[in-house]
Amino acid sequence: MRKIRVLTAKLGFDMHNRGIIVVNKALRDSGMEVIYVSNQFPEVIAETALQEDVDVIGISCLNSATGIELMAKLMNILKEKRLDNTLVVFGGIIIPDDAPRLKEIGVAEYFPPGSDLDSMVNFIKENITMG
Amino acid sequence: MEAKKSYGVKEKESKEEFTTGSGIPIKRIYTHEDIAGLDYNRDLGYPGEEPYTRGIYPTMYRGRPWTVRQFSGLDSAEATNKRYKMLYEMGTTGFAIAMDDASLNGFDPDSPEAEFEVGVGGVNVFSMRDMEEMFDGLPIDKISTAVIQIIHTTCPHTAMYLAMAENRGIDIRKVNGTSEGDPCSYGGCFDPDILPVRQVFRLCGDLVEWCAMNAPKWHPVSFTSYNFREAGVNAYQEIGGLIASAVAIIEEVLSRDRGLGVDDFVPQLAFHLSAHNDFFEEIAKMRATRRMWSKLMTERYKAKDPQTKRLKFHVQTAGSSLTYQQPLNNTIRAAYQALAAVLGGVQSLHVCSYDEAICTPTEESAILSVRTQQILQNETKVTNTVDPLAGSYFVESLTNEMEKRAWDFFNEIEERGGWVKVIETRWLRDEVINKEVCKYEDEIRRGERRVVGVNCYKMEEKPGNITYFRPDPEIAKKMKEKAEKLKSERDSVKVGEALAELREADENGENVMPAIMKAVKAYATLEEINDITIRRYPFVGHSSLFYGLKGKRQ
Repeated sequence: MRKIRVLTAKLGFDMHNRGIIVVNKALRDSGMEVIYVSNQFPEVIAETALQEDVDVIGISCLNSATGIELMAKLMNILKEKRLDNTLVVFGGIIIPDDAPRLKEIGVAEYFPPGSDLDSMVNFIKENITMG
Repeated sequence: MEAKKSYGVKEKESKEEFTTGSGIPIKRIYTHEDIAGLDYNRDLGYPGEEPYTRGIYPTMYRGRPWTVRQFSGLDSAEATNKRYKMLYEMGTTGFAIAMDDASLNGFDPDSPEAEFEVGVGGVNVFSMRDMEEMFDGLPIDKISTAVIQIIHTTCPHTAMYLAMAENRGIDIRKVNGTSEGDPCSYGGCFDPDILPVRQVFRLCGDLVEWCAMNAPKWHPVSFTSYNFREAGVNAYQEIGGLIASAVAIIEEVLSRDRGLGVDDFVPQLAFHLSAHNDFFEEIAKMRATRRMWSKLMTERYKAKDPQTKRLKFHVQTAGSSLTYQQPLNNTIRAAYQALAAVLGGVQSLHVCSYDEAICTPTEESAILSVRTQQILQNETKVTNTVDPLAGSYFVESLTNEMEKRAWDFFNEIEERGGWVKVIETRWLRDEVINKEVCKYEDEIRRGERRVVGVNCYKMEEKPGNITYFRPDPEIAKKMKEKAEKLKSERDSVKVGEALAELREADENGENVMPAIMKAVKAYATLEEINDITIRRYPFVGHSSLFYGLKGKRQ
């Protein structure tokens, strides 16, 4: 079976990248192929996802309070590019009010600080549809 | 007298090895033998005397307290002005501007790139007008301000503050404050995938050079090993890197050969360190840093002026040590870290707020941080004597060990071609920072590094038991309108001329600061200036943030 391909990125200008560095390593250690593109605008994340034909997009942003609108923009662009089937996961601080909205815009799952790395790996393995 | 070798060897201990936060093995006890080679005059000296291990001033806090400088900025200049006035009334003695992501990255609020980034993480500052509004009614001739920004906006943002002061009739030769923007003040600055490394070093050098001649009380750069530490390195790597980054800028300025020697500009350089969880290690780190700096200036640069050899520093308690879980515990962490900074001889201090792992601090949590400092200054009596831990077998031994390891790290950077080179080759990012951060997090995961509320003493928590700060939802729209209004009202001929002059200075390799000062006074914007000084440069990295959606400028 081919490796699961994951695109990971920091959303917009947020430079808090400790979380994504650790997650990238955990995903690679679990056998996935990780393409990390550092900080990018939503347009570029979506375009890269299309070109790289990834199964999963993992987005890291410090805080949902500030990242949620950019996240909504990303989800819209993904829809336009017919990438709605790509599994999208989000990591960062989640303000409680934002949790339902993240799901509404199509984020499959979110992982707040303190999330278990194994649970992320397992979530991806259990929920992707390999094309 | 020889220490008893058999001391307590049979006693059982709770674990096999005790180590510092950076993994340095720690013995059960320390004795005079651990500091057998210590020479008081050579290695410690009196406070205010070389090598400044015990502090840079003879009287330290008996003479003057450290500056209570809380970093803050809220979406708009008006909101920030209100917060600053509140902090000033609370007794804060210095400001530090936290800017939003759009400003830090050099985009104006009417640019598409800034659409969702205005007001995120701080205040939006895109022209001198924002500085005017932010400091309206505040005594900037009496209080010092740190302009916290990233290297590629450091010149325009500093110019906006100084030009604002000048317009208020204040002589900029007397204006006190700091520009934070050193090449490592931004996670991304270690990352050649985000910024063109050489050009940002040049701009930082320009600011240092210009301030030496025009704004002698201004610190043109504060070497921010704080951010390096936050990115993931350990305590001795933090200070080894700090020295290496300062050396890079010193070499940049000296290489221009325009008449400045180290004693002409180094006294203005400032430093910004972290205070993390390991109490004694942090104190030892700060003492070692001062000694290293004094040695470096004396031995390598043959400095004559004592000011050149004195390392002044600001400390911020470690944001990365704060936990999202049980957030009130962060108050206690920050208080211990602040105490370490004070025992380490800090000049200016920011205490993180308990809610910083969750959101921008609310007014309530910001006040508590100020009070934490005031309790230290007024109640604990730790300020009564200078460097109270000097002579401790353990602290002196650990100070020596920190210095040794930090020099080893510094020397490794030098052998690899220096700070600029290790950034460009990605060695610093891939082999040092990312490896350290994975190791650190792995230790937490395996329970070897205990974090209360995260991997031990966990509780069921109800979310929402603290107040969350949210930026004004209308802020992006308001700032966009403000930018459009400013651009329609200003004298566009004057702006055009100033920007043309800037372009010429930049292309001729002249110092860009005089032209930037002129441009900001004409209300040229941040993005207009950065389009000239930054976004025309070749860039090999792959982040789309750099040129933005418009691509490379011509």
